[in-house]
Amino acid sequence: MEKYEKLEKVGEGTYGKVYKAKDKASGQLVALKKTRLEMDEEGVPPTALREVSLLQMLSQSLYIVRLLCVEHVDTNKNGGSKANLYLVFEYLDTDLKKFIDSHRKGPNPRPLPPSLIQSFLFQLCKGVAHCHSHGVLHRDLKPQNLLLDKEKGILKIADLGLGRAFTVPLKSYTHEIVTLWYRAPEVLLGSTHYSTAVDMWSVGCIFAEMVRRQALFPGDSEFQQLLHIFRLLGTPTEKQWPGVTSLRDWHVYPRWEPQNLERAVPSLSPEGVDLLSKMLKYDPAERISAKAAMDHPYFDSLDKSQF
Amino acid sequence: MDKFDLEDPLTSLDGHQSDTISALFSSESDHMPSYNYFQCLKTSDFYVSFRQEAISLILQAQYSSNLDPYTQYLAVNYMDRFISWQEIPQGNPWIVRLLVIACISLAAKMKEIHFSFSDFQRDEGFMFDPPAIQRMELLVLDALNWRMRSITPFSFITFFVSLFQLKDPPLTQALKDRATNIIFQARNEINLLEFKPSIIGASALLLACHELFPLQFPSFETSVLSCEYVNEEKVMECFNEMQEMVNNEMSESIVDMVSSSSSTRTPVSVLDCHCSKSENEGTNSTMATTVTPENREIKRRKLNGFCNHSSTMKISQFQPCE
Repeated sequence: MEKYEKLEKVGEGTYGKVYKAKDKASGQLVALKKTRLEMDEEGVPPTALREVSLLQMLSQSLYIVRLLCVEHVDTNKNGGSKANLYLVFEYLDTDLKKFIDSHRKGPNPRPLPPSLIQSFLFQLCKGVAHCHSHGVLHRDLKPQNLLLDKEKGILKIADLGLGRAFTVPLKSYTHEIVTLWYRAPEVLLGSTHYSTAVDMWSVGCIFAEMVRRQALFPGDSEFQQLLHIFRLLGTPTEKQWPGVTSLRDWHVYPRWEPQNLERAVPSLSPEGVDLLSKMLKYDPAERISAKAAMDHPYFDSLDKSQF
Repeated sequence: MDKFDLEDPLTSLDGHQSDTISALFSSESDHMPSYNYFQCLKTSDFYVSFRQEAISLILQAQYSSNLDPYTQYLAVNYMDRFISWQEIPQGNPWIVRLLVIACISLAAKMKEIHFSFSDFQRDEGFMFDPPAIQRMELLVLDALNWRMRSITPFSFITFFVSLFQLKDPPLTQALKDRATNIIFQARNEINLLEFKPSIIGASALLLACHELFPLQFPSFETSVLSCEYVNEEKVMECFNEMQEMVNNEMSESIVDMVSSSSSTRTPVSVLDCHCSKSENEGTNSTMATTVTPENREIKRRKLNGFCNHSSTMKISQFQPCE
């Protein structure tokens, strides 16, 4: 790892620390993500092997943060079995959360330009479609995980891939609370067989947040999270979502009526509201897929040839 | 879901889409040995015999560890890529064995197949301790930059078969099966190593078609050669090499049949048969003149010799060269 000069810790990813660093030879900025590699009698753990190689393959897409290389460092000198793995990613200096914050607070609060929201959402759908077409769920999509190249107007999905070997924890290893705001209702209700639709729920929440400049469902516990959702979209019924009342964590909730979604995203065009409502369908089977979303009329005015 | 399938390395959920296909063609070169490697193999006997020995060991693992041919193919791919990026110090006969164990182990993990270090080593008569194997695995992973979902000729079979207007599923299966066999055989052929996986896949299917459905060959050939992703000249070059390989194989097996019925050679075990067969395959076209029965005997003895002394060398003596 002498090749890199660590500059600062830029975050705690869900699975480990992330550092901003500089490649000493080229001067290129990179993000180093450190993960422990737990070795046993059988050598390199198969899950780590499959996850990292999957990540290596997925990062071929322009809309996924590029994995530049993988470095391992042995920490134990006496014939030991511990190793740290550093995933070396391209470095982008901003993410969608910071970007939205800068439009809400600070010297010049202003809405995000509608054409930019449209472009970011399309790129997000494209990246998610890429993951899904390779059989990979992200499961933790949120504005902090969407990195931006402001000059080129490019959005890239980060922090993916290492999701399946380990279940998504409620608390990260540093006991930082993992945000629930983008979590799909079926996950909150304890469904064990969830699918690509969980990511589309998150995409919907992120879409609304770009328009509103604040989170759509800012819950601080799993229960509160559900109530936020139910108050806007109405308490789900068996008719709307067959099987919902048999989910593990289903309880009897107050019966809220659905509100008008338009009022939650006042500046959004009718096509935009229609797409959002399809991303926030309760029944995962009915929720729009990333690929279908890319063909939605909301994107008709977008020049797709640039992507 | 994340088990690695050589025929579908990109794990596309909804079959072969156009963007999946172009992704396959654009990244296949990342999964090949470097160009220097082909030059090395053509000029250095050390590398030729190192590779042959490694392949023999990997093939033998099917008996001791019940490995399927795809896992073995993957292990050979890792081994080739590793050697092409790392200089192998000469005079350390244990290196080939340690490398083979690490490559098989990694391939088995990718395929979610159980592989026991100790069973394999017991059968082969050598014993590395787990930390040494681990470190070798990490060296291989470093050299391959963790690109373990290799794109191989098998990855292109479905795509090329779709160009072939066969309506009958059993016929399609027959074509695939024959092409698959040709691809396994081609792995041992040094002359064929430098072709991209897609070229190998296309040529193997063409050759299979030529053998099984000669009447449809011209139209299949036209559609493969007009495919936007393949270089026509390379396919023809590869096809010719492969045809030669298959013809040599046939004539050799006839010679073998004749000689085995008349010679005093004691019947050998299945394992030995397999060993010498793979050696033949590995050398037949360019090296045809150097492969003599004596030569084969020497190789077999050499292999047995290796098995007799156990290795206590440490991988730390094996430094990766930048």
